[in-house]
Amino acid sequence: MAEETILTDDSLRELMNVGEVDILVGVPTYNSANTVGPVVQAIRAGLLKYFPRQRAAIINPDGGSNDATQELVRAASISDMQHAAHPQALRTLHSISTRYEGNPGSAKALYTILAAADLLHPTACAVISADSNVEPDWIPRLLQPVYRDNLDLITPLYRRHKFDGLLVRNVAYPMIRALYRKCVREPYSSEVAFSGRLGSHLLGRDIWSEDMGFSGGELFLTIAAINDSFRIAQVFLGSKDGLDHAPADLVRAMRDTVAPLFSALEHSPPAPASSSECASVPSIGGNAEITLEPRRINRKRLYEMFANGVVELEPVLKVILSPPTLTELQHGATKGEGEFCYSDELWVRTVYEFAASYHKSVISRDHIIQALAPLYRGKIHTFLLTNRDADGAEVEGNVETLCLAFERFKPYLDDLWNGRK
Amino acid sequence: MALSQDPLWYKDAIIYQVHVRAFYDSNGDGIGDFVGLAQKLDYLKDLGIDTVWLMPFFPSPLRDDGYDIADYRSVHLNYGTLGDFKAFLDAAHQRGIRVIIEMVLNHTSDQHPWFQESRSSRNNPRRDWYVWSDTDTKFRGTRIIFLDTELSNWAWDPVSKQYYWHRFFSHQPDLNYDNPAVREEMWDVMRFWLAMGVDAFRLDAVPYLIEREGTNCENLPETHAIMKDFRARLDREFPGRMFLAEANQWPSDLRQYFGSGDEFHAAFHFPLMPRMFMGLKLEDRKPITEILQQTPEIPETCQWLLFLRNHDELTLEMVTDMERDYMYDEYARDKSMRLNLGIRRRLAPLLDNDRRRMELMNGILMSLPGTPIIYYGDEIGMGDNVNLGDRNGVRTPMQWDGGWNGGFSSADPEKLYSPLMLNPVYGFQAVNVASQKRFEHSLLSWTKRMVKVRRSTPVFGRGSIEFLYPANHRVLAYVRRWQKETILVVNNVSSAAQAVELDLRPYKGNILIEMFGRNIFPRIGDLPYLLTMGPYQFYWFRLRKI
Repeated sequence: MAEETILTDDSLRELMNVGEVDILVGVPTYNSANTVGPVVQAIRAGLLKYFPRQRAAIINPDGGSNDATQELVRAASISDMQHAAHPQALRTLHSISTRYEGNPGSAKALYTILAAADLLHPTACAVISADSNVEPDWIPRLLQPVYRDNLDLITPLYRRHKFDGLLVRNVAYPMIRALYRKCVREPYSSEVAFSGRLGSHLLGRDIWSEDMGFSGGELFLTIAAINDSFRIAQVFLGSKDGLDHAPADLVRAMRDTVAPLFSALEHSPPAPASSSECASVPSIGGNAEITLEPRRINRKRLYEMFANGVVELEPVLKVILSPPTLTELQHGATKGEGEFCYSDELWVRTVYEFAASYHKSVISRDHIIQALAPLYRGKIHTFLLTNRDADGAEVEGNVETLCLAFERFKPYLDDLWNGRK
Repeated sequence: MALSQDPLWYKDAIIYQVHVRAFYDSNGDGIGDFVGLAQKLDYLKDLGIDTVWLMPFFPSPLRDDGYDIADYRSVHLNYGTLGDFKAFLDAAHQRGIRVIIEMVLNHTSDQHPWFQESRSSRNNPRRDWYVWSDTDTKFRGTRIIFLDTELSNWAWDPVSKQYYWHRFFSHQPDLNYDNPAVREEMWDVMRFWLAMGVDAFRLDAVPYLIEREGTNCENLPETHAIMKDFRARLDREFPGRMFLAEANQWPSDLRQYFGSGDEFHAAFHFPLMPRMFMGLKLEDRKPITEILQQTPEIPETCQWLLFLRNHDELTLEMVTDMERDYMYDEYARDKSMRLNLGIRRRLAPLLDNDRRRMELMNGILMSLPGTPIIYYGDEIGMGDNVNLGDRNGVRTPMQWDGGWNGGFSSADPEKLYSPLMLNPVYGFQAVNVASQKRFEHSLLSWTKRMVKVRRSTPVFGRGSIEFLYPANHRVLAYVRRWQKETILVVNNVSSAAQAVELDLRPYKGNILIEMFGRNIFPRIGDLPYLLTMGPYQFYWFRLRKI
């Protein structure tokens, strides 16, 4: 893929018109007309207010939208071509849209952004999701540490409900932390900033040569930054909108998060099990916050989906999981909701066995990801129950316990990975 | 060479702004004079300009560089005699060069006999030639222009024990234009100079002639009525002469000064100038195109006057706070370069002595709609001296050669009205007319060529403008048209090479002829016209259908 070009001639022409920039903000889209308008307007407002003198551009890699997504993005441009004065803007702001070929995917979108960045030489880049609840003042919080302070990767910290962001809390954060020894709370998120240096570094990696249909490209940024000793910080942004809680399609969400995490393990070998303790990452503007307002969630339904999944997917799980793990899960599936508890240790073993099976492609990788979905529901059932009455500190404590379990079982993953089990 | 008889001569003019004091000292007293200026007319003729604008040369205590006039009908002793001025005027006219002089209508020096009489007692017949008040609270909605030096627009007169009104320095009391006698007297002053042969007046500080409670005392209808009356008298008694407005205002406010072609013939386009510098530093055409989009149409017989630098600070009154901060940071990081709401620097130092940028800025100046003004010394890239007070740093002696006093004067250097520029970059030994005359590619020689090309067509002075808005925002492109002639101007305002695609389909079939080298460029077809441009490069193309 790297041998070919992802930038069409039209895209190239647009980039030529943009020219060298100081700041580049990417907004990947695919049929995002319902949400992308406020996002690009907020980005524009943030750039105008906080970076009025810098040369900035918004680039939208689009996966083939057939709605008004691209027009909405382009409407955020500020130029004298519109015949309307923008006295609040010192300079032209290009907001361009480029369509990449093939199936939409965040890796392909990120690759497009990195390719554009390679041509435009920004000091600081950001990627903002098209359904982000980004506010204008998030833009400087993300970009200033890169632009002004020469940091290389800025990941966000949010104020979230204790039952939001569960995939991050139960899989991504503890696993990245255990494997790569960095406490990055949001290892991939809908808002991230990075330096041109890091972008160029990642662009030069071989990861782009494979099928570009995978998602979770931003995760590669985090892992590359950790593995190659780039300077990382986290910045508190504010309340994360509930758009991502209780995703309507869990399998899709897992394809977007867990699959790239498993893939990343292949491209970026984890730190040895013997390596030092997890390094903290500096936080700017505060730490992650947890809100506690009551929320009704149907735990019984989660358990039923878990139990049914264990039964229905038994042939698949047999291929993926070790006998002891599968047996424990089958036992749990028969206990009934009131008695069931998906322990941290069992969950860590489950995830690691799935990761190793993904690595070995024991069956179709997508089937592996799909098979994890009902088990994840079981884990969430336990998480909700455990933290039902917990305050923020207790929730954090429970997440920490899970992280430690992931770290403790790291040698187990190493053995699985290397075929010793 | 006779002056052209075209009453719209100012539309085709190229103006050279000069201070008599600064140009050439003929009698060795250290101060430039009219005899010296007359001796240098051939230089100006050779440069290609056809109009000279003189800064004030009237008797004055010189507390505001002559804008504080103490006698409107004479010449300051430093500069010679009235006879010397007349001789200079005739010599200029013989060379086809017109002369614009200053006329400070709004105020006089406090040393002017009129004011001395006015303040002598409250019963003096000239008491109401100025604006007096028992309190300093009238006209409170009026801004203070010289913020660095003045706290109020009122000053206490200890002689007659009342306050007098002044919009500028407190030693410059405002005349009372509500008084018909003042209006008659000022017209009589103008008639005096017009009868002598002066071609035009730059009327200084015109927005402030009248004061009214509850207003900001600027641009008032009564002020326009006065100016229209003066204009009618001018047309009646001296047809073909010109009024030029000095009104540092937004274009929409300036528009009123043209009336329906019955007030001023021309006015400075103040807001454009800082935006040209801003566009260059931002490497973005947006500031330039936006201010021109906001510039209203003016009557056919009227004209904008455009400039890069002049005798004053680079004024930042007509920009937003954000733009002003940007300009200060980019062009006057050293606070000693700042004065009032502006930057007291010359063109070359502002542009880091970068020849490419000087050429580009002059190229834009000469190709936008209007009449361009060259500030003396900028044609050779003279520097400034911010260590001199007020705006004197941009008013140092003209640098003629590398010899004694830069060829400006035979006086002892200590006697010069101002120190010469001495530093190795801008000093007279490095930057002077004589050395630049020797080289075909000097800035002076380039300026001469530029002026010549500009004068080769009336399009630039009289034609319409249509912006092309190529997607590359670092390229400022426009088409100028006048009668059957069409010229395409393309400017790269960035420090890097650029490719630009121009939509020239309306001109399909034309070939482009580059106006400086007269080389032919490809014919315009259906496809976007691709040009590649070097850093700060610009093209002027004449479109020809052959």
